[in-house]
Amino acid sequence: MELLDHWHPVCLSRELTHRPLRVWLGGVPYALFRSDGTVGALPDACPHRGMRLSTGRVRGGRLICPYHGWSFDAAGAGRAPGTPQMRPHTACLEAVERDGAVWMRRPGAASVFPAVGPGGYHPVSVTRHRAAAPLETTMDNFTEVEHTGVVHWMLGYAPEAAEAVQVEVTATPATVRVYNRGPQRPLPAPIRALVGLGTADDFVDDWTSHFSPVHTLFEQYWIDRATEQRRPATVRIAVVYTPVHADVTDIYTFVHTNAQGSGPRSLALRLLLRTFAEIEVRLDASLLSSLADPRPGLEGRRLGRFDKALRLQRQRIERLYRGAP
Amino acid sequence: MERETTETFVLGAGPTGLAVAACLRGRGLAFIQVDAAASVGSTWRGHYDRLHLHTMKAHSALPGLPFPDTAPRYPSRDQVVAYLEAYAAHHGLTPRLGERVQRARQAGDGWAIETDRRLYQARRLVVASGYNAVPRVPTWPGQPGFPGPIVHSRAYRSGAAYRGQRVVVVGNGNSGAEIALDLWEQGAAAVTLVLGGPRYVVPREVAGLGAQQVSLACTRLPRRVADAIARRTTRLAVGDLRPYGFREPKAGPITEVEVHGRVALIDVGTIALIKQGRIGTLVGLARFDGADVVGEDGRRVTADAVILATGYRAGLEAFLDVAAEVVDDRGYPRWHGVACPGHPGLYFAGFRNPATGALRESALEAERIAAAIAGA
Repeated sequence: MELLDHWHPVCLSRELTHRPLRVWLGGVPYALFRSDGTVGALPDACPHRGMRLSTGRVRGGRLICPYHGWSFDAAGAGRAPGTPQMRPHTACLEAVERDGAVWMRRPGAASVFPAVGPGGYHPVSVTRHRAAAPLETTMDNFTEVEHTGVVHWMLGYAPEAAEAVQVEVTATPATVRVYNRGPQRPLPAPIRALVGLGTADDFVDDWTSHFSPVHTLFEQYWIDRATEQRRPATVRIAVVYTPVHADVTDIYTFVHTNAQGSGPRSLALRLLLRTFAEIEVRLDASLLSSLADPRPGLEGRRLGRFDKALRLQRQRIERLYRGAP
Repeated sequence: MERETTETFVLGAGPTGLAVAACLRGRGLAFIQVDAAASVGSTWRGHYDRLHLHTMKAHSALPGLPFPDTAPRYPSRDQVVAYLEAYAAHHGLTPRLGERVQRARQAGDGWAIETDRRLYQARRLVVASGYNAVPRVPTWPGQPGFPGPIVHSRAYRSGAAYRGQRVVVVGNGNSGAEIALDLWEQGAAAVTLVLGGPRYVVPREVAGLGAQQVSLACTRLPRRVADAIARRTTRLAVGDLRPYGFREPKAGPITEVEVHGRVALIDVGTIALIKQGRIGTLVGLARFDGADVVGEDGRRVTADAVILATGYRAGLEAFLDVAAEVVDDRGYPRWHGVACPGHPGLYFAGFRNPATGALRESALEAERIAAAIAGA
């Protein structure tokens, strides 16, 4: 399988309005547009004289080229007003709108849709952040907790407790799973109360990376160290890494929780999670832009015990995502 | 054959049977509980992989034990099974498993129940064998000529087995819609849902409020008012689905459930894919023609496999002597959670599936039955 064979999120649902939108995937531009409740995705160059279709407009479910008025539907079937007998056709991609994002792939590809919306959990937020780093380097940031103490303000483990964090890595041919457990960093009392945490809790960050498309599913929860009982709150986060260009990656974050009901407490908790996800991912994305050497290669790097998953993930990206033998 | 006498015989160790047993135990009443399967909650264990409760856990708990706090709002199949196991352990229930009831008949002032191991005599018989005990498998003209597999949803586990195939799913109930969604997600080449009779479609949640919560609120209103509200809400929430072949029932949504026993389809994402043209629809299955599935309007779809999400029946007539006198024309008991008139000591529980939640209903019926038995 190649890049286009996998389902990739290419924009958020709310980013695609009644106007067409130019998006990039793997360094290639596409024009997205809404057409009678569905989404169309065409290469962003009119087959006629190469105009950007994304600068056109949508009428009657068809994307109209701003140069000569040729128009195309979501299946790529075109009409040339000046030459009605001509049936200009452009390639189309399969696009679908799900879980608050627009996804795209080559029509008829044999890929499986990623499980970003965990059944049964309540959706909290969907966001997109852009990192100026290749896919591998971006993914590295999300699949290692050593940085959390330094970079983040709420997520993860305190820097001074990093030594106590347990890291278990297990891999199958199609997945890489990492289980982390360590002391939750100190949090303000109101936040502890809202999430339902004590002062001596362990934070568990249990994630599994999948490779069609490249994405990581996180399950995050807390354990009371005294009783070994799991706290009620669970957060499920799916992060999908979309390669926009070779050195630019979009991070799509889908946050879900088991928090119940529509009372003020659960609304406040969802608001907190929303804000937290937005800030923490933004911190990651901006941090990645400061890498002196963002190249994906691991040769010559001094890797620690938190970095075990990195090599395993790279092997699977090559084989499952890029289709290397 | 071994003979045993007991106060109450509980047939079934699914959610309802366990709830009945727990309520009897809570009142200190003697009973024997039997189930043909090797474990509690066997029907739930056999469901497809992606199944979740369509109702909220807060409104789906059985008497005496809530779902764990760590479970999501809509627990998964595995979480329901784990809950049922915990429920049995919590109430100290030890049903006799792997023992199949072959015949139950009125005898003396009670009931004689014959299993493949023993003969029981009980004052009361509580039948909680489940409304989905036996797959309903209709047949159509031309079906023997269809070259691919035709399987009932009971045998369906995951869409992974159908990757790259053209699959037709028959039945617009919750299972049919969810299986169609699963097939699409797992990479089936084409998925078509065959819609049956008129049916309402409701989203699982609107603005954080569950369909079940809305239904619960409506039970307090006069039916006409409730119907009007529910019809309006439904239309607003899912839009006009007629262009896709859905038909709206004549009666209001609440009447549909309460009078006709037809629950609305609780959508978990299938409708969006139908609207986007990713899942096709066909109205009514008329016949098979070679590898084609032909709709009532003559439209045809070529398929590699067909999944029948055509539902289940209770199958009471298979073992219950008086079945003909106590069931309706669909084969379900006419009385729920109360003693059957004319058949003292006979109770049915867990044969209804209201919009307010089947498990919630089971829990209520179990309490009612235990109270009736304790008071008798």
